[in-house]
Amino acid sequence: MSSSTKTEAGPWLELRQISRQFGGLQALSEVSFQVEEGEIFGLIGPNGAGKTTLFNLLSGVTPASSGTIHWRGQAMQGLSPDRHNRLGIARTFQNLRLFTGLSVLDNVLVALHRQPQGSGLDALLNSSRFQRRQSELRQRAMQLLEELGLADQAHRQASGLAYGDRRRLEIARALATAPALLLLDEPAAGMNPREKEQLCELLAVLRQRHQLTLVVIEHHVPLLIQLCQRLAVLDFGRLIALGTPEQIQRDPRVIEAYLGGSR
Amino acid sequence: MIDNGLLVQMILGALLGLSVYLPMAAGQLSLATPAFYAVGGTLAALLSTQDNAQAGITLGAMVGEMFLAAGLTAGLALLVGLPVLRLRGIYLAIATIALVEIVRVAILNLPFTGGAAGIFGIPQPFQQPLGYVLFSGGLLAACGWLCQRLEASRLGRSMAAIRDDELASRCMGIHTTRVKLTAFVASAVLAGITGVIAAHYLNTWNARQGSFDVAITTLAFVILGGSRSWLGPVIGGLLLTALPELLRPVGDLRLVLFGLVILLGPVLFPQGLITPALLERLGRWKP
Ligand SMILES: Nc1ncnc2c1ncn2[C@@H]1O[C@H](COP(=O)(O)OP(=O)(O)OP(=O)(O)O)[C@@H](O)[C@H]1O
Ligand SMILES: [Mg+2]
Repeated sequence: MSSSTKTEAGPWLELRQISRQFGGLQALSEVSFQVEEGEIFGLIGPNGAGKTTLFNLLSGVTPASSGTIHWRGQAMQGLSPDRHNRLGIARTFQNLRLFTGLSVLDNVLVALHRQPQGSGLDALLNSSRFQRRQSELRQRAMQLLEELGLADQAHRQASGLAYGDRRRLEIARALATAPALLLLDEPAAGMNPREKEQLCELLAVLRQRHQLTLVVIEHHVPLLIQLCQRLAVLDFGRLIALGTPEQIQRDPRVIEAYLGGSR
Repeated sequence: MIDNGLLVQMILGALLGLSVYLPMAAGQLSLATPAFYAVGGTLAALLSTQDNAQAGITLGAMVGEMFLAAGLTAGLALLVGLPVLRLRGIYLAIATIALVEIVRVAILNLPFTGGAAGIFGIPQPFQQPLGYVLFSGGLLAACGWLCQRLEASRLGRSMAAIRDDELASRCMGIHTTRVKLTAFVASAVLAGITGVIAAHYLNTWNARQGSFDVAITTLAFVILGGSRSWLGPVIGGLLLTALPELLRPVGDLRLVLFGLVILLGPVLFPQGLITPALLERLGRWKP
């Protein structure tokens, strides 16, 4: 059970009556729920249920057709994706959007752009302060890669990584922007069972260490049941269930819509 | 075979190649370079032929014109860039071609730019081509050094990230509009000050200097040279400017051969002459 101590007025993250149409297609209809500070919140649902669309709304990539999103007391409507990130929301992509032409290390360095860099003049003159800052940045990046188990691949080109490593690099890159809320879109897709198990443990550790709130989309339900405090279930754009893993597993509508199909 | 006169043109070509490269390093296919080149050249031509005295011009005065051209092109680039950089890929290319045409037609028809004939008798700060070689060579070296520093800095990394995936860059909190605009303005300024030097060196300036042809030629510099490092457009600009002159002995065949190089270059070297792999091999010295 999550018992959050709220530092700000209102819930940590709140979606109110969120809808999104694509032409005639209702990808999300009137979805409302709240996520508490520090919790790991799971999002499940069959293919096309609207999970990724929901992440696109939460990260400012696409606007909602109607409804509001409040994050730490602020209305997020109309804010750009970069603004969302600056306000502490980071995400990974289901279809992997790494900077494939850059090295693994540079992927993380790019995302550390808000850390102190030294002034433009320092950069021009390659001053000792600039060099120091850059080496601090590289250390920070290496530390993040270390946490994700990618340190030994730091100098490879990102496009050369194995599938599971790419998924972990997506997480490292998102973490580098120092988010408070991390949205993971199928982080375990394409991983073998052992990797999935390790990722599960890793996410719990990362949440602690980086004081994260996590929202995780995942098709592999056992992983989410093990990991999450609460789960939301989407089906055809509707929120059909919300609760603890135990409640979700017993919910007849969920069993019919989702769990039933895969058992 | 390569005299100082040709060398000046080669260096100016390299500078224009860099101007096309800068937005491309941030993933933006802009063909606006000739427009800003024309603005710089016309500005220099107008300013230095004001008082009809044939007294010539000091180097200081030309540098002054370069600063003015930098300011003017930067302002213009900010104005144009903000709406235009919302476009992507080929749409941005088309919009920037439109800009080139607008500037060309404007210069052709303004009452004080000499019409089709243009402006003559632009005074020279240097008596010998060697002066231009040293001056523009120094500028090219400075630009190369700036690009080198850029690639090691946050701005350069953000540009590379946007080039790879603009949406992912935005989701990492990068202010992509600002970064793209910065690259566009830098490109414009470089083209503008190159135009100033070119106007003085050529002694005459008209609207044809900033035509669509120049957009294609300078784009070829980057494509043949390679767009993964600043060294690519520099090498491309030097080589492709020299080639037509070096081919002069073969007569009319030279245009065919030149066309062949432009055609076969991308086929034989799809990444351009200067690739990251090549730089890696060249003694681990990575520009
Ligand atoms: N940009 C778009 N334009 C049109 N339709 C879209 C767009 N994005 C999503 N959709 C549609 O919205 C619906 C929900 O898609 P979404 O990607 O959110 O599903 P999902 O739950 O993430 O599915 P999956 O488990 O396969 O990733 C789908 O029918 C999809 O085709
Ligand atoms: Mg999805």
